[in-house]
Amino acid sequence: MLDARTAYSIQYWLESCPQGYLLHTEFGHERGAREPGFVLENPVVREEAIGTTVQLVVGERAALAASSGLINAAPDAASKAFLATQTLDEARHVEIFTQRLFDLGVKRDELESTIAHHANPHLVRFAEILLEKVDKKDFVAGVVGQNIVLEGLAFSTFEMMQAANRDTNPKFARTLSGTIADERRHVGFGENRIGSLLREQPGKKPEIERMQKDMAYHMLATLADRFRGQSAAMQEARRAIEEQASHGGPTPRSHVWHGTDLSKAEPREMEAVLAETVLKEFKTRLARIGLDYQSPERP
Amino acid sequence: MTLEAGELHERDHEGFLSEVHSFEFWFQSVEGYLHGHPHGVSPSTPFPELAPDRRAALVATLSTYCVGELTALEGASGMIGFAPNRATKIFLATQVADEARHLEVLLHRLAELGVEDAEAGFEARANRHLMAFRERLLAYVVEKDWLAALFAQNVILEAMEFAAFQTHLRTADARTAELLGGVLKDERRHIGFGENALGRHLASHPDDRRRLREVRQSLEPLVFATFEDAALQVGLPAAERPEIARLYLDSVARLGLGT
Repeated sequence: MLDARTAYSIQYWLESCPQGYLLHTEFGHERGAREPGFVLENPVVREEAIGTTVQLVVGERAALAASSGLINAAPDAASKAFLATQTLDEARHVEIFTQRLFDLGVKRDELESTIAHHANPHLVRFAEILLEKVDKKDFVAGVVGQNIVLEGLAFSTFEMMQAANRDTNPKFARTLSGTIADERRHVGFGENRIGSLLREQPGKKPEIERMQKDMAYHMLATLADRFRGQSAAMQEARRAIEEQASHGGPTPRSHVWHGTDLSKAEPREMEAVLAETVLKEFKTRLARIGLDYQSPERP
Repeated sequence: MTLEAGELHERDHEGFLSEVHSFEFWFQSVEGYLHGHPHGVSPSTPFPELAPDRRAALVATLSTYCVGELTALEGASGMIGFAPNRATKIFLATQVADEARHLEVLLHRLAELGVEDAEAGFEARANRHLMAFRERLLAYVVEKDWLAALFAQNVILEAMEFAAFQTHLRTADARTAELLGGVLKDERRHIGFGENALGRHLASHPDDRRRLREVRQSLEPLVFATFEDAALQVGLPAAERPEIARLYLDSVARLGLGT
């Protein structure tokens, strides 16, 4: 079994990530892969894909700022090394999701205005709460916010999106599978490193639990905004997929994720299963590091 | 594919940015010389026997290098938060991973040399002039002074490391030399980025040259004092010592920042 020092090292990361599951990919997917026709050619579906991808870019930009900002606050070289690998992981995620925006037809000189237009204000606030802790060089709160809360949200969201796109958009699904592998490492670091630090600084628990409650509220509000506003686009995407299948394209199969068939579920059902999954994971992970999950108000 | 600094300077701005500010480019660059080289050294490279005084000098030198790399890691990571654009943030993220790798391979080499808990002791063994340089650089980062931080980090510190490692290669044992060779390839990318970014900034903001000259004048005594100590430690003949300074001065001169 790897000891913690080895598992946090650059050498381990090099061998498992860029020399491992990212080998022979470009921007996280198979070389030459393209977005499917039903996304690029249908303006409703394309716009929804742009809106969704913008949220990923916003989240990953926050993760890049947080992981790089925490390096100087890290108490030991092993944590600095791990956060250095995470910084580059997050930069890669910013790059690949930004590239997806370009692949979807966003012009380079319209990138920032597109992001500003689609970025969900609750997600922006979610990131601000985290970055306030990072700016104060609060390592323990920063890592809980970043590696447990933000990464936990990203992990489950990417898993659900990966399942939903596996047959109909293999390019995007492959991109997501690489990021899921990264997030799994990041969450593991958060749990392993912070548990011991929190035992040394039990007085920090109330402040960190308040941060978690605030971040969880804005996370739920983001999910509510995204899913409740996407009913028409989701129906249009399903219609376009079926039409493409009738012309020889990939046939959508049912993908059951945490008990919900993603190919048939209504937006409210998808919101509910994602929110429940993320919150359940939060509770489990927070309990492992000795924190009590704080339930936010439902938006 | 590894690009030499000279090739980078010949690219136009857009071509340079699209080529070098990406994870894709970074991985293409490092894969060639890191694959099959755990901790920067081929497993078949022999472990040399070092005389006690030479071993002690090498431990002190590598400890100083650790401080340089830790400074670069903290500097580059701190700069991501106030870097002016996405491409620059992504390049700095690749540099963060490079600097963390350098620190890791140097600590690993110290462990090979029999240093127990190398991480705990390297700052105590390191050159005091470099420790002072570190404080000054990180102060620019804390102040979010982009121009001064970029100059101090990606030109002065990187050029200082480049010159020291290049010079050390001449007298180093096989394992240390191989490790330093890989580090040097990264440093070339970092210096190229710093020179390109600052060179283009100065072309449109010539008045900022005065500011950078002031930064240079404030840091340079620490740079030369570090070189002097390092040259003695690695056993560089007196006649060759000006060479280490010349390698450093070449990088600074390319920006037109003569004293």
